[in-house]
Amino acid sequence: MRIAKGVEALEGLPVLYIEELSAIVCSDLHLGYEGVMADRGTFLPKVNLRNIKKTIKKAIEMTNAERIIIDGDIKNEFSNVHVEEFNEFYEFTKFLREELKLKQIDLIKGNHDNFIDRYEKSSNIKLYRQEASMNGFLFFHGEELPHDKEARFLVMGHLHPAIGVYNKLGIKEKLKCFLYGKMEDGREIVILPAMNYFAEGVDVAMRDLGENSPIFAKMLDVGGMEAICIGEDELLDFGKVSEIAAIGRR
Amino acid sequence: MITNYTKPFTKEESLQHLNIFIREWFEKKYKELTPPQKYSLKLISEQHNLLITAPTGSGKTFSAFITIMSELMDLSLKGKLEEKVYCIYVSPLRALNNDIYKNLSAPLQEIYSQMTLDISKIRVATRTGDTTTKERQQMLAHPPHILVTTPESLAILINSQRFSEHFKGLRYLIIDELHELANNKRGVHLSMSVERLADMIGHDFVRIGLGATLSPLEDAARFLVGYRDNGEERDCYIVDATWDKKMEFIAMSPVNDIVNATDAVIEGSIYKMLNSIIKQNKTTLIFTNTRSGTERVVYNLMKSYKYNEESIAAHHGSLSRDTRLGVEEMLKKGELKCVVSSTSLELGIDIGFIDNVIQLGSPKSVARAVQRFGRSGHGFMDIAKGETIVTNRDDLVECSVMLDAAKKRHLDRFSTPKNALDILSQHIVGMSQTKKWTIDEAYKVIRRAYPYHTLTMDDFMALIFYLSGKYVGLESRRVYGKIWYDENEHTFGRRGKLTKLIYFLNLGAIPDDVAIDVFTTENKWIGNIEEEFMMRLKPGDVFVLGGHRYKFEYSRVMRCIVSDASGEIPTIPPWYSEQLPLTYELAIEIGKFREQLSKELMEYTKSRKLLSLISGKPKKEIGDIRILKDMPIDDKARNAIFRYFMEQLLYTKVIPNDHHMLIEKTKYKEQDRNYIIFHSLYGRRVNDALSRIVAIYLGDRYESEIGVNIVDNGFVVITDSQIDIKKRDIDIFLKEISTVNIREMLKENIKRTEMMKRRFRYCAARGFMVLRNYKGRKISVRKQQINAQLVFKAAEEIDPNFPIIKETYREIFDDVMDLPKAEDILKKMSKDEITYQLIETTVPSPFSHNMITFGEADIIMMKDRRKHIRELHKQVMSKIKRMF
Repeated sequence: MRIAKGVEALEGLPVLYIEELSAIVCSDLHLGYEGVMADRGTFLPKVNLRNIKKTIKKAIEMTNAERIIIDGDIKNEFSNVHVEEFNEFYEFTKFLREELKLKQIDLIKGNHDNFIDRYEKSSNIKLYRQEASMNGFLFFHGEELPHDKEARFLVMGHLHPAIGVYNKLGIKEKLKCFLYGKMEDGREIVILPAMNYFAEGVDVAMRDLGENSPIFAKMLDVGGMEAICIGEDELLDFGKVSEIAAIGRR
Repeated sequence: MITNYTKPFTKEESLQHLNIFIREWFEKKYKELTPPQKYSLKLISEQHNLLITAPTGSGKTFSAFITIMSELMDLSLKGKLEEKVYCIYVSPLRALNNDIYKNLSAPLQEIYSQMTLDISKIRVATRTGDTTTKERQQMLAHPPHILVTTPESLAILINSQRFSEHFKGLRYLIIDELHELANNKRGVHLSMSVERLADMIGHDFVRIGLGATLSPLEDAARFLVGYRDNGEERDCYIVDATWDKKMEFIAMSPVNDIVNATDAVIEGSIYKMLNSIIKQNKTTLIFTNTRSGTERVVYNLMKSYKYNEESIAAHHGSLSRDTRLGVEEMLKKGELKCVVSSTSLELGIDIGFIDNVIQLGSPKSVARAVQRFGRSGHGFMDIAKGETIVTNRDDLVECSVMLDAAKKRHLDRFSTPKNALDILSQHIVGMSQTKKWTIDEAYKVIRRAYPYHTLTMDDFMALIFYLSGKYVGLESRRVYGKIWYDENEHTFGRRGKLTKLIYFLNLGAIPDDVAIDVFTTENKWIGNIEEEFMMRLKPGDVFVLGGHRYKFEYSRVMRCIVSDASGEIPTIPPWYSEQLPLTYELAIEIGKFREQLSKELMEYTKSRKLLSLISGKPKKEIGDIRILKDMPIDDKARNAIFRYFMEQLLYTKVIPNDHHMLIEKTKYKEQDRNYIIFHSLYGRRVNDALSRIVAIYLGDRYESEIGVNIVDNGFVVITDSQIDIKKRDIDIFLKEISTVNIREMLKENIKRTEMMKRRFRYCAARGFMVLRNYKGRKISVRKQQINAQLVFKAAEEIDPNFPIIKETYREIFDDVMDLPKAEDILKKMSKDEITYQLIETTVPSPFSHNMITFGEADIIMMKDRRKHIRELHKQVMSKIKRMF
């Protein structure tokens, strides 16, 4: 689905494609999550990396992109690089290079990506410590405000946006979504859904997002954004968040 | 072979083998043998496995111990009493353990005080979660000859390398309160511990099971003794001394006309009856079935009849341990006139002299009623006395049939959870810690236990793969694997240092439970509900909390989010999860009673005096109805049953029974909905499954939301008013459903429900996938729940048949619901072995009044509900009158 000029959300995937950069964009992978959980006494079967690989492979097949931009939180632990995180990080970058033959891997550091710098050289990734501007696009993770004033199109992660919907049995389930809209200053912005398998997402129509990112206090009204939900093999445009919220509170 | 033993031994036969000191003491102390002792002394001395069922106060515990004490005394006199455990006694209650300790220590003291010989004394000690480190150290150095413990502590001890050495000479194992273990996962856990113990020490021991009665006793015996490797059950004698104690019981109606009497009159009458029974007896025990009911009865008795804290007390699970112990202590001293309990006093804790048991409302099971009555009458010579006071007409019929069945000794059947994979996970981890096993050898030991006798190799291997971490990559097994497994050698054993700690800190079958906070969608706190109740909720359900009505919207981990629902009809009462479900067998008995009584009633429908017969005051004619005459009920009750059945018969021309289902289309309270009432009398667990199957089918077919109320006597399906079910639709349903894989259909339906989310947490915690305690740190229930939901999501992704998921569905379908019976009933309906009849009523028929107002139900009194029932009844009666 074309979201804006030159920006496409891939059908059924939490992945963005930007043609002029020949790049797919995604965020919030939180690799190594299961390993970290197992260390705390919850033995989650490992499915996250497997799923992410499947998703990205599909995205590359759909687009023939040569580059991947990861908009923050490739890993999970704040305080260290857990051994399982390193294992998965290593396996993942190897997969991108060798199996998918990607030419470039860009990583914008997120709030979970502490100490990842150590592996910048060995894994041959390009690391951006705050944000990255490319051809008028600005990629930033989102826990802090973006600095670049020149870019015309912003891409952010961090939020894990989703919309709560009731299924056939009347039970509430969350659908991950892209959010697309305009900043107060008129520039376009997309907020990416989380890639992580376990992240159900934050119901943006029901929750106060002020604590999540300073951007909602100062530069962006989430109510005016459009929610594009990820269904089975397709994207579903749910319309404006404020309207969804109004139905939800009926 | 399992053998029922019915011929008691003479006193001489029983006592002749006893050690002389024990015999002298015994004969001085007791004039004669109690019924269980007339069998047990001799049978145990001959080293037979033995299951004894008898009411409390029949000396059954002592009947098991006396032979063992005698044998130990012999050893001690010969100077051969060694530093080892000769006998293990296991009971599910710590409180009971302390009683037993006292009851063994005191006689030993008395015996020793009369002896001049200086011999080594028989040591008794309790080992539970409360035992201090110092005491444990002492036990390790000098093991008790008789060890008194709980299932959980036993599981720890058999894995303790040093202590388990003391078990090598074990001769006896006693399991007390067997009826509280054989029907649940705690018992399953214990039965595996016992088989592991026998295997570890390399020889079997005499197994003695004690309990209140349960049926079938043969299965209880199998649970106790297990199987030999050739597949034969081990030998066991059964002694059923339950009925040697005389019992007198009666079902009573508080008023002549339960429907039309005002609340004040009914309530007044109930308390008047209670007071007069309490006055006539020394100590009365009242069971109310729910905790809130317990408090209310105590409050009202105090208010109306001047009882105070010194004469009356409540006893239930929500009270603090100290409060409960205080009440038990007062009971033992005989200080209380009356104690009111929900279910907590059913178990065999010593509560002194109770001479009368009252049940307020149905205990829902024949066996349970017998157990409760059995608590009265201290000695086996006394008569157990009791009354059941009913609170509505269904309750009346149910209690009458229940007491009649008790008189005829028709008991409901218990069943043991079979092949529970979560509990088995724990034991495989435990086994791996003690030695290296071959797969075949471990499989053989596991199948000796009754609950695992039919375990398939596939299921067993699935657990081995899960526990060895086969579901993650090789490099992560260090973290995930709890056992080590060698695929080439087919062996498994210990893995990692942490696993031992995980086993000790997380074993057991009882899930951590916590109250759920109820919030409105505006984030306002309303109150608490129990997690078990939350499991029953589906979005749209309306329930009453703190006097207001709320609609369940969704849950967030440990929160229940609701919206205001004033004006809507409640669909489920908040004590629903506390209320025991009516058993299938008792439901069938009621069905048979309905059939017989309706046959007898047919001739009365032609009576010219009909209207006067059903209009109120007791009539002589009613006394002539044979089936009513023989029942243990009072005249008011007899009269009320007659009227109830007669009204239904006149109104619908048919009384539904166990092989003829009435399906009634109707309206209620002018709501824009259709009510389809299934008079399906098969107990709540069966109806739980049946109603879901019907609702899923209708929901799919009409693409519409379907509401369901589930009760013991049937279920109500609520659809929007456009859906009009015809007989043809039901025939099509029965035909189509017979070709569907019902289990898979229900799985799909239940997958995202609260029931699944929370039951999965229980199973994942038991199966060591989500730990409750890690490295000594307790993990909060909230955290466990979040983690369990993540685990479910991932496990389902890698394998929908992951052992712990499979077990969760099994628990829901076989233990919570009774899906096998529900499927059987559908099959019988499609073959016309169970017939049905579809009728349409403008006002719901009398038999459906309690079903349709169910959500408004409260156990003792509920003003709204009574009012609605009265209104419905008035409408039915005016219609009946117009027929003449």
